[in-house]
Amino acid sequence: MMSRRVPSRGFAAGLAIVLAAAVVAATTGFLGVMPASSQAQVVQVRAAPSVPRDDPFAAFWNNVQPVDVALSAQNITRPMGGGTVAAVQLRAAHDGKRLYILSEWSDATQDAAIDTTTSFTDAAAVEFPAAGTTRIPSFCMGDPGAGVNIWHWKAAWQRDVDSGFATNRARYANMQVDLYPQDGDTTFQTGLAAGNPLSAQKHGSPVENLVAAQFGTLTNADVQDVGGVGRWKDGRWRVLFVRSLAGAEGSPSFAPGGKTNAAFAVWNGSDGQRDGIKSVSQFVDLQISGEKIVRKPSSFAPAIIAFAGIVGGLAVIAVFGVFAERRKRV
Amino acid sequence: MPDVYNWQLGRPMTYRFREAHPKWQFAAVFNINRCIACQTCTMACKSTWTFSEGQEHMWWNNVETKPYGGYPHHWDVNTLKLLDKADPGGQKWDGRTATPAAPYGQFTGKTIFEAAAALGKTDEAIGYLPTDDEWTAPNIFEDTPRNRRESELQATSLPEHRTWFFYLQRICNHCTYPACLAACPRNAIYKRPEDGIVLIDEQRCRGYRKCVEQCPYKKPMFRSTTRVSEKCIACYPRIEGTDPISEGEPMETRCMSACVGKIRLQGLIEVGADGRWAVNPDNPLYYMVREEQVALPLYPQFGTEPNIYYIPPRWVPRPYLHQMFGPGADAAIERYAAPSRRLQAVLQLFRTTQRIVHRFEVVNGHKIGEMNVAGKTMELFNDTVVGFDRNGKEIVRQSVMEPLHDRGPKYLNTI
Repeated sequence: MMSRRVPSRGFAAGLAIVLAAAVVAATTGFLGVMPASSQAQVVQVRAAPSVPRDDPFAAFWNNVQPVDVALSAQNITRPMGGGTVAAVQLRAAHDGKRLYILSEWSDATQDAAIDTTTSFTDAAAVEFPAAGTTRIPSFCMGDPGAGVNIWHWKAAWQRDVDSGFATNRARYANMQVDLYPQDGDTTFQTGLAAGNPLSAQKHGSPVENLVAAQFGTLTNADVQDVGGVGRWKDGRWRVLFVRSLAGAEGSPSFAPGGKTNAAFAVWNGSDGQRDGIKSVSQFVDLQISGEKIVRKPSSFAPAIIAFAGIVGGLAVIAVFGVFAERRKRV
Repeated sequence: MPDVYNWQLGRPMTYRFREAHPKWQFAAVFNINRCIACQTCTMACKSTWTFSEGQEHMWWNNVETKPYGGYPHHWDVNTLKLLDKADPGGQKWDGRTATPAAPYGQFTGKTIFEAAAALGKTDEAIGYLPTDDEWTAPNIFEDTPRNRRESELQATSLPEHRTWFFYLQRICNHCTYPACLAACPRNAIYKRPEDGIVLIDEQRCRGYRKCVEQCPYKKPMFRSTTRVSEKCIACYPRIEGTDPISEGEPMETRCMSACVGKIRLQGLIEVGADGRWAVNPDNPLYYMVREEQVALPLYPQFGTEPNIYYIPPRWVPRPYLHQMFGPGADAAIERYAAPSRRLQAVLQLFRTTQRIVHRFEVVNGHKIGEMNVAGKTMELFNDTVVGFDRNGKEIVRQSVMEPLHDRGPKYLNTI
C-alpha cells in the first residue's frame, strides 16, 4: 500500500500545476488581458480602416488588446471618496482621422437620472495634458503651470441624447399644476439663462469637453468637439470617447507615432459619487502608432493550446509515474 | 483651517476661509410671537422667484409649525442628532457672564464644522441630503393636534393649554460663515462684500449638491430641470435699490414687506473694520439684537453665525427655546414681555414702510397707562418712533398708540 502512495502524490501535484498553467493560459488567451504593471502602463492605440462609432459593444473591439488600469479613491482634496470601482478596462484605436478610447467597468446599476436631490449620474472621464503644456501636469486636475483637458461622459446626458430631456411634467405624470407663469421664458430657468452648460436640455454629444488647471477650476471648454456613446450591458458600462486626432485649436492634438499621458475616472451615481468623489487612475501612456490592428485568430486557438498542454502534461506525468513505480519494484 | 471669531458663540471656531467681512450685512428680526402662519411671505417669495418648472418643491421662504413640523422634514432634528453623535452630551454653553464679545456666554460644544472633524469626516461640515419626500408638503398637517403625552414638555405660561406649538419663519440666514459656501468645491458660492448676501453663481455651479448637504438650515435647493442648485437671493435688486419701484433706495425683501402679521423688520447692519458690528444703537436691528438682546439667532450652536434673529415665543417650554435660540432666550422673553420705553417704540417700526430703516429716533409722548407684568409695574407711553433712510431722510413716523379717529355722527352710516 505504502509503495503506491508516492507516485500518486507526485501525479496529483504535477497535474495541479499543469492544470493551473493551462487555466491561466486559456483565460488570458480568451480575455486577452494584458497583466497590468504598477507604473508606466501603456495603452496602445493602433490603426484600423474604420472604427464603429455608435456601438461600444461592437465585435471590432474584440480585436483590441485591453489593458486594466487600477483606480483608487480620490483622497487629495475635498470632497473625497470613491474607490468603489477597482479598475477600468481600456481599449483604444484610431482610423487616421479620429481617436477612439473605450473605457469599460463594472457597475451593477444604471444611474442616468438626475431627477431628485439625492440622484446622481454615472459618469466616466479621460484626462490629457492640455495643449501647449511643456511638462506633465498634475494628474489631479492639472496645476496652474500645466493644465489638463478632460472629456466627461455622463449617463444623464446620454439619456438626454437618446430619449430627450425628461421634464418634471413627464416625470410626474399625476402632478397637478395650474400654470407655470412665464412658461418658456428662460429668464426663470436661471442656470440656463446664466449660460451654464449643465443646464442645457439638448446636447450635441453625451461627452462634455472641459479644461482645468487646479482643483475647483473645471470649466466647459470653448469648443465642444468630443463625441461618444455609452452603453450598459449585463452589469458593465462601456463608454466610447471619440475626437478628431488633430483637435480644435487650443485642444491637445494626437498623431500616429506620438505618445501622450491619459488618466481615467469613473463615478457611480447610486453611491452619491460626483465631483471629487470618484474612482481615479494615475497617468498611463497612450501610445499612438501606425501599426494596424490585427484581427485575432480563432478564439478556439487558446483552447486547443490549453488542451494540448493538458494532454502533454498528463503524458509526462504518466511516464514519470511508470518510471517511479518500476524503480520501487527494482 | 484658520480660526474665525463667532460672536454668537463667544469664541473662535474653525472655518475653511480666513475671516473676511462685508461692509454691510443683510439682517432681519422676526417676531415669532406675532406670526399667524398665513404664509403670505411664503407666497410672496414663491410668486416672485420660484414659480417655474423644477421649482415645485422649492420654498426659499417657509413657515413651519414647531415642534413637529419642518421643511424639509426634520431638518433641524437631523442636524442636532448628528451634532449629538459627534459630541454626546457636550453641546452646552458655559453660562458665563455676558460681554459685548460674547453676549450669550461661550458655547463649549461643537459646531457643524468642528463636529465633522470630530467624526473624522473629510467634509467641511456634517450634513445630509434630504430626500425627495422630505421636500414635499411644507406645513401640511403640521398644525394637527397631537396627543399631549407625546411631549414631556409643557407650556410654561398658558396652563389652560397643555399642548403648545409655534410658527417658525425661515429664509436663508445669509450667514457670516456660510456652510454652503465652505462646502462648495468649486467656490461657486460667494458672499457679497457690499451687503453680505450669499449667492450661488448659477453659471459656475455644477450641481454637486455639497451646499445642499452641508447647509444646516437646508436653504440651498437642487433644481432638477437646470441640474444646478438655487437659493434665497435676499431679493437683492430690492436691497440694491435697483428694483424699479425702489426708486434707487434700498428696500426690504418681498417676504418682509408682504408680512401681514407685521412680524418682520429687515435692514442692513454696518460692519466695522474689525469685522464686528459697528456700534449703532440707533439702528433698529442693532438695537434689538445687540442692545436689548430681545432677538436671537436660530441654532447659534451650528456655528455659521446666521443673520436672521428671532424674538422667541413667550409660551414655549424654555429647554426647547434654549436648544433653538441659545441661552439668551430667558432674558429675551423677559425683555419682550415687559419692553423698555425705547423698545416699545422700536417694535412699532415693523411693517410701516418697505424702505430700509437705517436709523430711528424716539420722540417722547405722554403716559397712556401702566400694567403689571410678572409682579413689576410697566409704564406705557405714547412715544413716536421716526425712521430715516440711509440719506437721513425721514421715511416713516409711527406712534405707540394707534391713532384714533372719532367718526362724528354725520359720517356714521357713510360706508
